[in-house]
Order: sequence, then C-alpha cells, then structure tokens
Amino acid sequence: MTGDVPLLEVRNLVKHFHVGGGLFGGRAGIVRAVEGVSFEIRRGETLGLVGESGCGKTTVGRCLLQLERPTSGQVLFEGRELTTLGDEELRPIRRRVQVIFQDPYSSLNPRMTVGQILAEPLMVHGIVVDRERRAARVRELLSHVGLLPQHAHRYPHQLSGGQRQRVGIARALAVEPALIICDEPVSALDVSIQAQIINLLEDLQAGFGLTYLFVAHDLSVVRHISDRVAVMYLGRIVEITDRKSLYDVPRHPYTKALLSAVPIPDPALEAERERVVLGGEVPSPLNPPAGCAFHPRCPIAIDRCREALPELREITTGHRAACILA
Amino acid sequence: MLHSAGVSTLLSVENLQTHFVTRGGVVRAVDDVSWDVEEGETVALVGESGCGKSVSALSIMRLVAGPAGRVVGGRVHFKGRDLLQLSEEEMRRVRGREIGMVFQEPMTSLNPVLSIGRQLTEGLEIHLGMTPGAARRRAVELLGMVGIPDSERRLTQYPHQFSGGMRQRMMIAMALACKPSLILADEPTTALDVTIQAQILELMKDLSRRFGVAMLIITHNLGVVARYADRVNVMYAGRIIERATARELYARPRHPYTLGLLRSVPRLDEPRRARLDPIEGQPPDLTRLPQGCAFTPRCAFSVARCSAEPPPLAPVADGGHVSACWESARLDRAAARSAAAS
Ligand SMILES: Nc1ncnc2c1ncn2[C@@H]1O[C@H](COP(=O)(O)OP(=O)(O)OP(=O)(O)O)[C@@H](O)[C@H]1O
Ligand SMILES: Nc1ncnc2c1ncn2[C@@H]1O[C@H](COP(=O)(O)OP(=O)(O)OP(=O)(O)O)[C@@H](O)[C@H]1O
Ligand code: SF4
Ligand SMILES: [Mg+2]
Ligand SMILES: [Mg+2]
Repeated sequence: MTGDVPLLEVRNLVKHFHVGGGLFGGRAGIVRAVEGVSFEIRRGETLGLVGESGCGKTTVGRCLLQLERPTSGQVLFEGRELTTLGDEELRPIRRRVQVIFQDPYSSLNPRMTVGQILAEPLMVHGIVVDRERRAARVRELLSHVGLLPQHAHRYPHQLSGGQRQRVGIARALAVEPALIICDEPVSALDVSIQAQIINLLEDLQAGFGLTYLFVAHDLSVVRHISDRVAVMYLGRIVEITDRKSLYDVPRHPYTKALLSAVPIPDPALEAERERVVLGGEVPSPLNPPAGCAFHPRCPIAIDRCREALPELREITTGHRAACILA
Repeated sequence: MLHSAGVSTLLSVENLQTHFVTRGGVVRAVDDVSWDVEEGETVALVGESGCGKSVSALSIMRLVAGPAGRVVGGRVHFKGRDLLQLSEEEMRRVRGREIGMVFQEPMTSLNPVLSIGRQLTEGLEIHLGMTPGAARRRAVELLGMVGIPDSERRLTQYPHQFSGGMRQRMMIAMALACKPSLILADEPTTALDVTIQAQILELMKDLSRRFGVAMLIITHNLGVVARYADRVNVMYAGRIIERATARELYARPRHPYTLGLLRSVPRLDEPRRARLDPIEGQPPDLTRLPQGCAFTPRCAFSVARCSAEPPPLAPVADGGHVSACWESARLDRAAARSAAAS
C-alpha cells in the first residue's frame, strides 16, 4: 500500500452528449449522462458501481480511461490528472488501466485466434518482444484464467460464453494493469458460470494485487465482490459507503427500493417479505426531474424534494447519501 | 400420474420431442419431456441458456421454425384436444385467444408501425368479434389494468414511444385481451431493470389471481420464480431433471444440478460467503449428449452407473417431487447434514 494517495480519484465528473437536431431531425437536446460524480478507489480494493440501465455507469468507466472525454471534472490516476493528457501521453496509462466488457464476443476479434488475441497487447506495448517468450507468456496467461494451452489455437466462436469471458480477462491481465474496470463482466453469462468467473476475478485480485471498479446491476453479486459500493441514479451518485453499511443500513430510499426488489431464492422467505415496489418509470437523462431526480418515484418525498437538489452529505463516518430525509 | 385428483389439468405436455437438423448434427433441443399446468396455477420452467425452455414453449404453440426445426414426437393436451393435431386454422384461434404469450423482448413481438390502440383492438375484433367502439373501450380498460396511466392518449402512440417496462405491460395487456385461460411468458422480465422487474411480476401475479389465468413462466433465474411459482420444473440439456412445488424444491433439492444452481448464487438474505460455490465445467453440446446422465461431467455425486445409463425421472418425496438422478437419496442426506451444521 502506497500511503494515502488513492489509486484513482474522480472529482465532479460531468459528461453530456449532444443529440438530435442534425440531418435526421428530432429535437436537439443534451443527454446528461454523468452529472457531477466524485469517488476514489484505493489500491487493492473493489468499488462496486450499481444502478439501473442508463444511469451512466458505463459512461463513468469510459471517462476514466478517456475513451470518452469528460465535459468537465478531473480524473486522477496515481495522482496524475488524465483529462488534460493527449493520446500519446495516455498510452502508458492505458496499459495500467484495463477494461473487461459485458459481451465477451463483440470485444474479441473474430478473425484472430485466442493466442493472437493475447499476444497482441504484449507486442503493441513492447512487453515481451521475443517470440518464444511471448508464446510462453500466452500459455501462462491461459493457465491463470483456467484455460488450457490448446485453447490458444481456437477462434472466439469456438468457445463458450464463459470461456470467452476468460479470454477477455486474460487479455486485460496481459499488460499487468493496476486497475481493471469490469463492466457487467458476468451479466451475459449463465448462473452456473457466473460463480466461476467471480471466483476467478477474486483469485486474480489476491494474486496480482489488482484494484477493481466493478460495474453491475445485480446487487447480490456486487455485495459479494465489493469492499465499497456506490449507487447511481440518473447520472449522480446517490449513496456511497462500505459494503456492510450499504447492505445493513441503506440510507437512500432508492437504495432501499433496489435492495427490496432483489428476489431471494426461497419461497418461504419471499412470502413473508415486505416489498417496496417503486411506481413509475426511470426518467430520461434528456430531461431529468428538477430537485431530487428520484422524487417522482420516491415513496417518502416531501415538497422540498421537488425544489432543491440534495447534496451527497456524510450521514455517518464514511457513509454518504444524497437525500434530505436520510 | 402427473397431477393430483380433484384439480383439473389445463395443459398437459407428454413426451414432447423437438429436434433441429443442423450441419453439426441433430440438436435434441427438447428430448422427451412431460409436464403439466393445472387451472389457475403458476408453473415455472427454469434452466440455463440453451437447455430448451423457449423451444418447449414454441413447440406447444406450433411456432418452431421449420424445416430445420420439427416436433418429432409427443402430445400437447389442452382443454381436451391435442394441439399438435389441430389444423393451422384451428391453431390460430388457440394462439392469442385461448393461450396468451409474453416474450422477453417486446419490441420484436410488437408491430412498430401500428399504434398501440390498433394492436390491442385488432385481436379483440378478430377473435371476439367486437365492434370497433367496444374494442376501443376494452383496450382503454386493459391499459388501465396493467397500470399504464393516461390510457386514452396512450392508445394513439407507437411502441417506440414506450419505455421497456411499458412495452412489457402492453404485451401483458395484449396477452390478457381475449381472456385466455393460460399465458406463456418467456423471460418476461429478463430485459428489465430490477425495480421494473418487480413491478411487472407483481402485476402478473395479481392479474392471474384476479382472473384465474394459469401461467407458465420461463426463466433462468431461480430467484425470480421463488415468489411467484406454485410448481417448478428444472430443465437441463433438453430434459426435465427435477420437479416439485416451489417450497419443496428450494428447501430440499434432490438433483445435483438444482442444488448446484441454488448454491452458486450469492444471496442477500445470507451472510456473505468468502467464496462462491460454482458448478464446474460447461453445459453439454446438445448434438453430442452423453449416453447416461447429461450432468455427469459436472456432477460431484456421480458414480459409475451415471455415465452408462440415463436416470429416469422418478418420485423422491410426496407431493409430486420427482428427480432424474441415480444418487438422489444421497442428496437428501447431504442436505440434512448441511442443515444440521448451519
Ligand atoms: N454516445 C452517446 N450519445 C448519446 N447518448 C449516450 C451516449 N452514450 C451513452 N449515452 C446515454 O447516456 C446515458 C448513460 O448511458 P450508460 O451507457 O452510461 O448507462 P449504463 O448505466 O451503463 O446503462 P446499462 O446498465 O444499460 O449499461 C444513457 O441515457 C445513454 O443513452
Ligand atoms: N433454429 C435453430 N436451429 C438450430 N438449433 C436451434 C434453433 N433454435 C434453437 N436451437 C437450439 O435448441 C436448444 C434450445 O434452445 P432454446 O432457445 O429453447 O433455449 P433456452 O432454454 O430458451 O435458452 P435461453 O435461456 O438462452 O433463452 C439450444 O441448444 C439451441 O441452440
Ligand atoms: S445421475 Fe449421477 S451424474 Fe447424474 S446427477 Fe445424479 S449423481 Fe450426478
Ligand atoms: Mg452499461
Ligand atoms: Mg429462451
């Protein structure tokens, strides 16, 4: 552990997309995908990022890597500000920060064998120049993720979904990153395979001292893997704290509703369970509600919620929530 | 055999077999499967991707894409008729009118160029012979029933103007329109967010209770059905490998695959475990099914007999609990031990 400097720090990150108004008509508008998000990730920890579809999770991840240039705000990696760096200066940093995607199939080149897919980053970044040693490193990477040496000769379509996700993980590992952004890495996989991949991610974290940003919408999986958890709603973090506090004493009404919506595989328990079923739909980031964006669906909203945007304030030490009634 | 006396069986699938002919060989997608649904009952069909859930539903509705895909055997009794023997004309009356359907991706089953109102009234006019005025009044009522507010105005809108959750409500409204006695719902909430998923499931359960509609819910998520199903069928590699009432299945699973599924998911109601307990290996290739039990290569309980002889689906406890496993008795003891330990 290197002192108190977090591995990654995000300050007031904003990302707006301008849409419509072009050739195809449609009214011009601004998608407020990320609206002032701040958090930090310490070395070796896993920060879970949860929220419903379209709340901005993937956009946050892409802004960290500068794959998407933020509208405003700062991204500090190992204390270094990334948003002002050019592509050339970012190259060594992109080696230290890797991404694993939800859909392993579309992220792997279908015309390359698994061996070529894994050898490519080793060449591009000049990590292993010697051919023989590169082949050896590929075999080593395969074994880290539970694949066999002969898998190196296969093409992505010749692998199962779980095996393809293992290849995606091996490719991320190839460049010896410090931080891996896992964007829904198990959502597309079968239940029986999900647990295999989660165990693998945990083993690799322990073995290589990795730090994870784990993006997902499955709250049970996030509880299992995360040290701390941030909950997003419509471009903003509405609650952030350590795993235990979030699941034991959630403070934001949205977090409470999310937790209560998670089905428990036990009919006897389910029959007795009280449920907060949220009404309404997730609003559009093109036209977010005024005040607290959650107020139209919030079961406890009062007049004041419609007027002022609640700040993300500390409720107890290290536990922050953006709700005036929290 | 499949049902207890006194309750009448609405749908009974017997020895259903559906195959696809592909270049890689014959895919035995549904391989001699039997199950039933009683009137007003909610039954679940659960299992991982590719195990044959959707093909089962499509076979019943006679919607399997030929010529590669074909129902090669079995019977589907529904209200005293074998659906597999009906003419295409008769079958069209069953679809939509007597059996409603809800699919995972509503966008693919809604017509993008027809207004919501037209899609609802069409079925009412064709199947029930309603006048346009009466059909319209019924459509307004249906949208209200599935919780779409402002229904008069909504009728003039098109599917793309609806959110995912609203489209799924719309599908449910269409499925209910002609007061069917059975709804087949294939992954009705999988594409939706958890909070919307909860809304839709509550709605379906409520409507099925109020109108006495029976439901077959297809899902890969054991959590989703725990709250809503009366009975659960677990499928693996084209076969039913276990069936029981929901309470019995979750409390005392008697097939290693069901037990594995239940153990592999992290649960919010239990203390966090240091490590998850996955089912190792991969689901089998349906063109190269092993001779014995299809789960053998991944099974922690397997014995020599398992790879040689396929285990029959046999009773393991009262209340219609059946399991297709040579070693199911050992599972009962294993479960008792772990219950005693915790
Ligand atoms: N390139 C873009 N142009 C316009 N809008 C965009 C673009 N990328 C993302 N958005 C919008 O920004 C919002 C946030 O999207 P994002 O993909 O970050 O959500 P998410 O939380 O990852 O959702 P999901 O859980 O569905 O993956 C959405 O409304 C999305 O439509
Ligand atoms: N048109 C087709 N041609 C060949 N094989 C097919 C075809 N349709 C389905 N199959 C095969 O039949 C098997 C069962 O498919 P089915 O769609 O019923 O799976 P499922 O249980 O519904 O899975 P999922 O959870 O992914 O929806 C699969 O192995 C699939 O590959
Ligand atoms: S029959 Fe044998 S291999 Fe199949 S599930 Fe039972 S113990 Fe396992
Ligand atoms: Mg995303
Ligand atoms: Mg399916």
